[in-house]
Amino acid sequence: MLEKSGKTPSGRILSLFEILGDWLTAPDLHVKLPAQLTAHNLLTSYLAKQATALRAANPEILAEHIALIAHNAALQTISEPNSNHLAHAKIAANALIQAQMQKEWPLPKFTLSKRAVYGAAASLFVIGLSVTSFSALVQTLAPQNIVTAIDQARNHTSSDIKAAAFESNPQNVSLSAHEAATMYAKYEQMRNGTCQFPEAIQIPDKDKAIYLENVVGGKLPANLKDLATANFYLEKVRCNFTPMLMANSVG
Amino acid sequence: MISLREKILNTASNLFQTQGINSTGVDTIVAVAGTTKMTLYKYFSSKENLILAVLEKGHQDFQTWLNDKLNASAKKPSEKLQKLFDFIEEWVTSPNFTGMGFIKASAEFPSEDNAVHQLSSEQSRQFRQYISTLAAEANIQDADGLALQLSLLFEGAVQAEQMKRGSGAIKYAKIAAKILIDGAVKAH
Repeated sequence: MLEKSGKTPSGRILSLFEILGDWLTAPDLHVKLPAQLTAHNLLTSYLAKQATALRAANPEILAEHIALIAHNAALQTISEPNSNHLAHAKIAANALIQAQMQKEWPLPKFTLSKRAVYGAAASLFVIGLSVTSFSALVQTLAPQNIVTAIDQARNHTSSDIKAAAFESNPQNVSLSAHEAATMYAKYEQMRNGTCQFPEAIQIPDKDKAIYLENVVGGKLPANLKDLATANFYLEKVRCNFTPMLMANSVG
Repeated sequence: MISLREKILNTASNLFQTQGINSTGVDTIVAVAGTTKMTLYKYFSSKENLILAVLEKGHQDFQTWLNDKLNASAKKPSEKLQKLFDFIEEWVTSPNFTGMGFIKASAEFPSEDNAVHQLSSEQSRQFRQYISTLAAEANIQDADGLALQLSLLFEGAVQAEQMKRGSGAIKYAKIAAKILIDGAVKAH
C-alpha cells in the first residue's frame, strides 16, 4: 500500500500519515491498529529505504524518528479521534525530511597519516558518486530481503531484529536493505566524529583493500560480500564525537 | 542533608530510568536506598504511589530546569521559542540523560485506565501546553498546531535516544523545529 502511495520517496514517506488516518477512521479497523504498529522494525526498514533513496543525511535515524512520530500520533488519534494529530505529525515529518536534506553535514577529522587523509578526502568524491549506486544496490537487494524481513518480523520481537541488524557477521553475505542502510548510517555518523582506525598492518591481506577503500575511505562497497567484510571492520573503528561548538572552533 | 523520603525518591527514579519501572521491585529500591520496606510504605503507601511521585518530581525538575534556562537566555518570547530546542538538545545530550519519565512510563503502562498512564498523558499534554503558551506569547497564529508539531518532534527524538544513545535524532529534530518555527512566524 505504501509502495504505491507516492511518486517520490518523500511522497511515499509522508503518505504514511494519510494511510494511518484512513485506517483510523475506517469502521472497526482501529482496534487492530496498535498491533499493526508493533511491527515497528518492518516500517522503519521501509522508511529507511525511502530515506536512502532521498539521500537523507542519516536515513536510519530519519526512518526511526518518523516511525515513532507516526506511532505516537496514531495512538493519540485513537484516544482523541477528532484531534488533528496525524496532520500535524505529517508536517513535523516533512520538516524532519527537510532538516536531513538542507545542508552538508560536517566531515570527520580523521586522526590518520597524511596519506590516509588524502585518501579519505579523495574518497569523499566517491561517496558523492556512490550514493546513486548505493540506492541502486538497495533497490536490487530489496525484493527478496524485504520478504525475509517481513518473515523475521513475524517470528521475532523487535529487539531481536534490532540486535540482528547491528550484528556484524562477515560470513553472512545475505545482508538486508536494512543492514545496508544501517551501515550507511554508520558512515554518516563517523563523518561527525574524530575516528581512530585500526592499523592496516593488522588487517589480513585478503581484506586490506576493502578495509582501506570501504572503511577508511568511506566508499560504499560494490557487492554484498565486500559489504559484509567492511561492516566487520567498521565495528572496530572507535570514534569520539566532539561537541558541535568545539568542532566549529577547530574548523 | 536530603530526607529519607527524597533518598527513596531519587533511588527509585534512577532505577526506574535505567532498569525499567515494571522490572524494578520494591525490594531492590529499599536495598539500594539502604532502608526498609516499612519506611518506603510509610512515605509512599504503594509502589504505584511511588511511581506517581517519581514521575511528578521528574517532570517538575525538567520543567523548572528548562524554564530557568529560557528565562536566563532570552527576554523576548520569540527568542525563547527559538531557543527551546537548543536547551532540549543540551538536556538530551547531557551525560546524565536517561530518558523522559512520562514517555517511558506511558510505554510501560499502556492501559488508559491506569493511573500511571493517565499521569504520563497529562504531563505530555502539559508540556505541549507549555510550548503552546511560548508560541502564543511569540504571536504565532496557530500556537496549538505548532506546539503539537514540536512536541511530536521532541517525544520522537527522546524515544529514539532512549532506544539508542547518541542516535543524533535530537540534532535533526532541532533543525526541523527551526524550520517549523520559522514557517509559523512567516505565516502570521
